[in-house]
Amino acid sequence: MKGRFSYFNATSIALGFAFLYIPILLLVIYSFNESKLVTVWGGWSTKWYVNLLSNEGLLSAAWVTLRVAFLSATFATILGTMAAIVLVRMGRFRGRTMFSGMIFAPLVMPEVITGLSLLLLFVAIGFDRGFWTITIAHVTFSMCYAAVVVQARLFDFDKSVEEAAMDLGAGPVSTFFQVTLPIIAPSVISAWLLSFTLSLDDLVIASFTTGPGATTLPMKIYSQVRLGVTPEINAISTILIGIVTAGVLVASYLTRRQATREDRERRAAVA
Amino acid sequence: MLDAAGNGTQAPGVRAVSTPAPQSGFAPWKDKTKPPIVRFENVSKRFGNYTAVDNITLDIYEREFFALLGPSGCGKTTLLRMLAGFEKPTEGRIIVNGKDTTGMAPYERKGVNMMFQSYALFPHMTVERNIGFGLRQEGMAKDEIAARVAEAIAMVDLGRFATRKPHQLSGGQQQRVALARAIAKKPRIMLLDEPLGALDKKLRNHAQFELMRIQESTGTTFVIVTHDQEEAMTVASRIAVMDHGKLVQVSTPGEIYETPQSRYVAEFIGEVNLLEGKVVNIEGGAADIAFAADGTIFKTRSIDGLAKDQQVWLALRPEKVRVSLDKPTDCPNSVAGKVVDIGYLGSITHYHVQLPSGQKMTALRANAAHAVERTVNWDDDVWLSWPSEAGIVLTR
Repeated sequence: MKGRFSYFNATSIALGFAFLYIPILLLVIYSFNESKLVTVWGGWSTKWYVNLLSNEGLLSAAWVTLRVAFLSATFATILGTMAAIVLVRMGRFRGRTMFSGMIFAPLVMPEVITGLSLLLLFVAIGFDRGFWTITIAHVTFSMCYAAVVVQARLFDFDKSVEEAAMDLGAGPVSTFFQVTLPIIAPSVISAWLLSFTLSLDDLVIASFTTGPGATTLPMKIYSQVRLGVTPEINAISTILIGIVTAGVLVASYLTRRQATREDRERRAAVA
Repeated sequence: MLDAAGNGTQAPGVRAVSTPAPQSGFAPWKDKTKPPIVRFENVSKRFGNYTAVDNITLDIYEREFFALLGPSGCGKTTLLRMLAGFEKPTEGRIIVNGKDTTGMAPYERKGVNMMFQSYALFPHMTVERNIGFGLRQEGMAKDEIAARVAEAIAMVDLGRFATRKPHQLSGGQQQRVALARAIAKKPRIMLLDEPLGALDKKLRNHAQFELMRIQESTGTTFVIVTHDQEEAMTVASRIAVMDHGKLVQVSTPGEIYETPQSRYVAEFIGEVNLLEGKVVNIEGGAADIAFAADGTIFKTRSIDGLAKDQQVWLALRPEKVRVSLDKPTDCPNSVAGKVVDIGYLGSITHYHVQLPSGQKMTALRANAAHAVERTVNWDDDVWLSWPSEAGIVLTR
């Protein structure tokens, strides 16, 4: 059974990957298109990437997006880690089930609803919409993902390691920074990368919560596409794909490396 | 238990005798003027409806090697964790060194350090940094930390592994790092939660003597939690046997083995034959007990508070029971039976003898002489006999 080649499996894998990646591949290829017409191949060129550098609109949108992503990923990771610690460490406290439900609800909440409700909130409290409202909105939804990632790590964390630190004279805060955080660091970093990626390619929530002067890259691309696809859009999209892919790869590498190391430790402990 | 037969019967008897007392005549618990270093005062711990520790009052003295012994779930680990500060007693007080520590957090308890069952080493730190962790928390000077770490590393003989990470060490080495990490703090009271539970038998025996050596050379009070009666007998100056959150008996290993106060203790420590009967006569220091099965009179030593007609059990250690083919004339107590099983263990032989009532008794014989020919065989009708001072009367 294991490792046997079969034409059925090979075909389904080929079709599956084709379905997923041919559109993206086309986009990447056409970003190197010489021709101004998106659908006509005119030979290889990197001129659209060069042109990008002088496209103020796209560049400023990219800058806004990176700043939002960086800030929201950072805050989301801090809050998500705190939430995960409370859920895993505090034992059974009053309202724990409700709290954990509320943390994870936004994972399955339609983005439109998250966006709309945040918009209503910002309007109600009279918060000027713009850069900060997008950032806050992104913290709100990516925090849940961060919490899930960190929580998974904390579940198989030997609590007596923290107890040992306290027994040796480290207070709770000191224990967290000297022992807990270094041990869960890989999962915190992957939580950050995940939050960063989520913020980077969010369109719906950003559209709801944005205001004048704060246009993110996905919003800019979307609005430009409505006027017609230009090869420049292909180029910036290719760059975006590159960043997101790198983020996901690093995050999964960190998680895997940690898993293999733990596996090795466990085997060494048995031996 | 690796070899139930060998473990259960031979070792405790042998060990109990050879237990090296910390110092000769070391018995601070008998000295009424000496204050205890740890005092549990009516301590109870409940988790919801479950009572883990039930109204325990216990004194532990300086330089003792004190063992909390019992089956899993008897509350021994909870008791230790309360002393370390990880659990708060529901009722009662814990006084350490004359100071009430009941509500104190683990990191506020100076002079009390714990070694964990899982070792709980910091995986991201080298052996050196693990051992120095507790000293860094005190804000000690760097060179002083280095000296103390080196001292602790030398004590557990880990010099070659100082720069390794825990996952590069074997189980026995990890155990020594955990010990060194706690010892480096120079605690007055060292708590050990099943410290050798994860080691194999051979390593464990070696580690037990290591623990005793370190305990004696540092003069630290050790409190160890274990479910292994042999381990407790080997290392401890006193043992507290626990059951269902209560203390059943607190005595030296020798007393626990020779004069258990209940059937529970007698059966938990080593192997024992229990003969049920009724007190028919008490005279001076002696008592006559009528065997419940057939009314045979057993002569034995009496105990305080024994009353006539009281239901009692006579506890007999197998090595104190003699097997013979003929009825002995020089022994006041004997019962007849049939050999149903013989276990030859090299140094000793177990004889399992069934009495007419169906009850089985075990007798041990040391194979001192080179005896290839066994005089007693399967299905032989034999006599089991014991002197009047061999048995202990148990009332519960």
